[in-house]
Amino acid sequence: MANKLTFDAIVVGGGPAGTSAAITMARAGLQTILIERGRFAGAKNFFGGVLYTHALDAVLPDWQSRGPALERPVTDTGYWLLSPDSVLRFTQKSERFKKVPAESYTALRANFDPWFAQQAVDLGVLVITKTTVTGFLRDEKGRVIGVTTDRPDGDVYAPVVIIAEGVNNLLTQQLGLAKSDLPPRFVALSVKEYLGLPEKEVEARFGLSGPDEGVAIDVFGDATLGLPGTGFIYTDRAGISIGCGLLLEQLVINNLKPYEILARFKNHPIIKPYLEGAERLEYGAHLIPETGYDRMPTLYTDGVMVAGDAAGMVDALHREGTNLAMIAGKIAGETAVEAHKQRNFSAEFLKEYRRRLQDSFVLKDLKQYRRMTDFLDSTPHFMETYVNFANEAAYRYFTAHGMAKRDMEKEIIRLLTRRRSFLGVAVDMIKLLRGMRG
Amino acid sequence: MREKKRTTLNPALAATLPPTNVDDLLVSVKYYVDEEYAHIRIKDDKVCADCPHRPCLDFCPAGVFTQDRTGKILVGYQACLECGSCRIGCPYQNVDWNLPRGGYGVAYKFG
Ligand SMILES: Cc1cc2nc3c(=O)[nH]c(=O)nc-3n(C[C@H](O)[C@H](O)[C@H](O)COP(=O)(O)OP(=O)(O)OC[C@H]3O[C@@H](n4cnc5c(N)ncnc54)[C@H](O)[C@@H]3O)c2cc1C
Ligand code: SF4
Ligand code: SF4
Repeated sequence: MANKLTFDAIVVGGGPAGTSAAITMARAGLQTILIERGRFAGAKNFFGGVLYTHALDAVLPDWQSRGPALERPVTDTGYWLLSPDSVLRFTQKSERFKKVPAESYTALRANFDPWFAQQAVDLGVLVITKTTVTGFLRDEKGRVIGVTTDRPDGDVYAPVVIIAEGVNNLLTQQLGLAKSDLPPRFVALSVKEYLGLPEKEVEARFGLSGPDEGVAIDVFGDATLGLPGTGFIYTDRAGISIGCGLLLEQLVINNLKPYEILARFKNHPIIKPYLEGAERLEYGAHLIPETGYDRMPTLYTDGVMVAGDAAGMVDALHREGTNLAMIAGKIAGETAVEAHKQRNFSAEFLKEYRRRLQDSFVLKDLKQYRRMTDFLDSTPHFMETYVNFANEAAYRYFTAHGMAKRDMEKEIIRLLTRRRSFLGVAVDMIKLLRGMRG
Repeated sequence: MREKKRTTLNPALAATLPPTNVDDLLVSVKYYVDEEYAHIRIKDDKVCADCPHRPCLDFCPAGVFTQDRTGKILVGYQACLECGSCRIGCPYQNVDWNLPRGGYGVAYKFG
């Protein structure tokens, strides 16, 4: 036990949650080690996606002057309702989005995460990569006092460990904080392609005036064969990120290949022209936890806190995950700093982490949308029925048939009731409202 | 051991899925393959033999699971994207799923 490797705090995982926790603790003077299994922080990380600056502001107020690896500000955003041959667009483009910094930016995680981790290094965090944490060290009372890794002599000690291991939360399960794997109805499998396209071409196709504009669109309906899930299209600086995610259970029970659904989406007559000639630079896949507030793991135990995807902190409705992860990481870090001041790392004290999360938007939002995944699970037809109906109705509305408008309205109602009974519609709407209102 | 409710996708809709060779996608992915350690294994071949629908052959985004002529499931772990779907999606929890050793496995260039 000569050279026992000891720190004030250990962070497992170099994603947004872990790096935010490490930055917070280092700035308060704690000797902090962050352990990441990838070749670099971000090597394993993959998302749509959009990052939110409110979270960066909170964790690293001077982030703008540190040359962040971001793609484009989001100045045009919303939903496309895609039927097999049409699209109905609900998007907002606004000069109000064009402030510096913008509310949100598209990003690529193998660029952003290493930049973020480098800021932690600059603030004094020891970042160790290519190292997988395999388990925990405990004292005689069973309290966690460190971690084991797959490095020779790789045990590391600290009175507090923050687990930010992402959606595959094996360590959280090892501690019994999560009781089991998420069932496949509460997790979405997403696949995405990153396509290279010259900057000017991206701008021409999406109606952008320059590199300070960008789009972020969620696509519902035909993008996922009408099954519960979403497609997405984001503009990067010189490329397009296009992907789709479906509840894993849907892929399982229908024997579907996710990359075929994506290929079909890319081939859709409305989508294809945007992608013409773009070169596939990368393909990838990742899970999104749609855990829901009521199924979240326990967030702390003696010497341990859990943050981010590992704890199911994703608001799938608003495609928010990184910001919840960053804020939770920050709050876990602050709680660790407080624990050091009080020299108390017991579960009883770390309970404070959950209390603070409850006061933040993280648990408030997760609580409000607690029924959203159940809603999708219990109304698998929702997307197909209403997206196709909306397109049919719009088609009738926007074309002149020489039909009296009253008759057209009746026909539109008939179109809906042919797809779903009145009672069915009413029940769906009540469920949707409940999902949104909490 | 049970399998979840199954639905059949409208065959006309299913027919619109373009047959896609996953290897064409995977050439764009960078890996550091650990030749000495297979991080994903089948726990019990007998369970696969009795598995009626074999969803892993389809839902795995990297086509890691294939079957040989005798119907035995083969695991090409080298192509794994470490998403975790097979751990969760196998209806019989028959996949022994671990993280690759530190530094090995997928290394995204863009993410
Ligand atoms: C397709 C897709 C689109 C998305 N779009 C958006 C979006 O637009 N906006 C948004 O805000 N969110 C989005 N999300 C969600 C977002 O990506 C996640 O919520 C967020 O990355 C969670 O951060 P995290 O730090 O908790 O976990 P992760 O980012 O997953 O980081 C976990 C880290 O821990 C490491 N690790 C795991 N286990 C170990 C171990 N045992 N030892 C050492 N290291 C380990 C991993 O390598 C990884 O670096 C999207 C997700 C997906 C999949
Ligand atoms: S791994 Fe699971 S899903 Fe695949 S064949 Fe075996 S039992 Fe079936
Ligand atoms: S983890 Fe994902 S990519 Fe790897 S074998 Fe399982 S399903 Fe396939």
